[in-house]
Amino acid sequence: MKLSTYRSLAVSAASVLLMGVAAASAQGMNVPVIKATPVLEGLESPWDMSVHADGTMFFTEKCKGLSMRSPDGTVTNIYGMKGSEGYSDAGEDLFCEGQAGMMGVASDRDFDQNRRLYVASTSDKYHGDGCKSNFERCDGNIVMRLTLSEDMMSVVDRTDIVTDIQYKPFESDQPFGGPGAHNGGRVRIGPGGYLWITGGDRHSGICPQSPELLCGKVVRVDTDGNAHPDNNPPAGFDKRIYTYGHRNVQGIDFRPSDGKAFTAEHGPWHSDEITALVNGGNAGWDPQQNTAGRGECPDQYCGYEPEQMDGMDPAVRAAYMPMSDPRFDDLMPPTWNNNGWSQGTSSAAFLKGDNWGIYEGRLATGVLGIGFGGTPIGQRIDMISITDDGLAINAITRMPLGFSKRFRGLVMAPDNSLYVATDEGEIYQVTATPMQ
Amino acid sequence: MPKIIGAMSLAAVLFCASGAVAGDAAAGDARYHETCHACHGPAGKGASSYPKISGNPIEYTREKLMAYRAGERFGPNSALMIMMAKPLSDEEIENLAVYLKDAKYEP
Repeated sequence: MKLSTYRSLAVSAASVLLMGVAAASAQGMNVPVIKATPVLEGLESPWDMSVHADGTMFFTEKCKGLSMRSPDGTVTNIYGMKGSEGYSDAGEDLFCEGQAGMMGVASDRDFDQNRRLYVASTSDKYHGDGCKSNFERCDGNIVMRLTLSEDMMSVVDRTDIVTDIQYKPFESDQPFGGPGAHNGGRVRIGPGGYLWITGGDRHSGICPQSPELLCGKVVRVDTDGNAHPDNNPPAGFDKRIYTYGHRNVQGIDFRPSDGKAFTAEHGPWHSDEITALVNGGNAGWDPQQNTAGRGECPDQYCGYEPEQMDGMDPAVRAAYMPMSDPRFDDLMPPTWNNNGWSQGTSSAAFLKGDNWGIYEGRLATGVLGIGFGGTPIGQRIDMISITDDGLAINAITRMPLGFSKRFRGLVMAPDNSLYVATDEGEIYQVTATPMQ
Repeated sequence: MPKIIGAMSLAAVLFCASGAVAGDAAAGDARYHETCHACHGPAGKGASSYPKISGNPIEYTREKLMAYRAGERFGPNSALMIMMAKPLSDEEIENLAVYLKDAKYEP
């Protein structure tokens, strides 16, 4: 599908939205009152949360570690990173750099019995002989299974269940070229209690289409780190891979109506994407040099080409270096591509519960805001209505929060409120209540 | 009255001739919110992998922005800053430097 078609769809969707609002007003439809209340402030790059039924919230800070906010508001620092102060314990192998650090967190579905959390982090424990340059393998991202003490104040066991997700160790000749770039890092428990881990291409041309490397992939494993038995990647691929060909996925959630996985992914100065995942499918990102009509590229990575240091019409760049290349037979076409713009779609969560009224079932998508080359900054949370087949949208409504920030992490709580982490250092609880 | 106006005009001419530009914090605040805040966060507090840029001496921020504008690289995100600094005028740089010196984030 061409970008012009996407734009037409977007305009149509906006028209539908406007008509919908008018109809809602006329017919007394349930448009909820949405309110954001800060529950924590003054944090350092909070990245992700997991909220329990009693209000307990576990959360990560990218360069500090894992903490818990108790229902009474008390914060306990549970498991820090190398150099972190004030934590009950720390992993001396855990570090942060650039976009990388302690990132996703999810609770086991049987947490009340086993007190297990799953946490993604950057680690130097498994570097081995690698990581001496950006052009060799560097296993620098892990997923830990942490078992908490009965009082949940400390970690009694740490088992690293995935130890071979690649990391970018050095600066390269790219925009956003620092170490730790494109590090993915969201972790969620999906249907059946399996663990889903999202990856980034770590500015490596070969990652997304590689059958062995986990960079640029979405991985589905059990809680010991073994491949889900039904994963169906192409022959020769690592069986832990659910989908491949990704650029930098930081958002994933599962549609309540059918359990289908959807991702939110950063685009390369064009085309942020929401994608309905297909088991074994290819998201179509392939930034290798000397590929698909492209020549050599800076540090063997064509992801920002052409003319990577200058702004240009996103559609022109997309034509040269597509986010979802239609030359792949197993391509998963995007559900939505942000009107051809890249503004930083970082996290996503389906709105669950009838308290969300006409927005129930929509995918809330956090946008960080990136305004290069004339692109509007666009910091916001979108509520996206997705078609049943997952291949298009019906409408988009901007969540009426009354403020704009870098919305990094979104997750639903059992009480059907939405929790939102911002890069500025806050975690908000966003509630929706019927207007009547 | 003509003498006063004449003296003021002379002062303005001398000021401009010296090359000095007095920074305007309010104008710097406005300019900061056009583009800078998307990465560096409110009031230059820093956000994610983008560093804190508030609280520095005016001279420091001025020199850094002028160097980026001239295409000099220092730090892993130089390419971004070179692009962002390219369109800045001397006056905008001065305004930003003055604003960022005392900018404070209040959530």
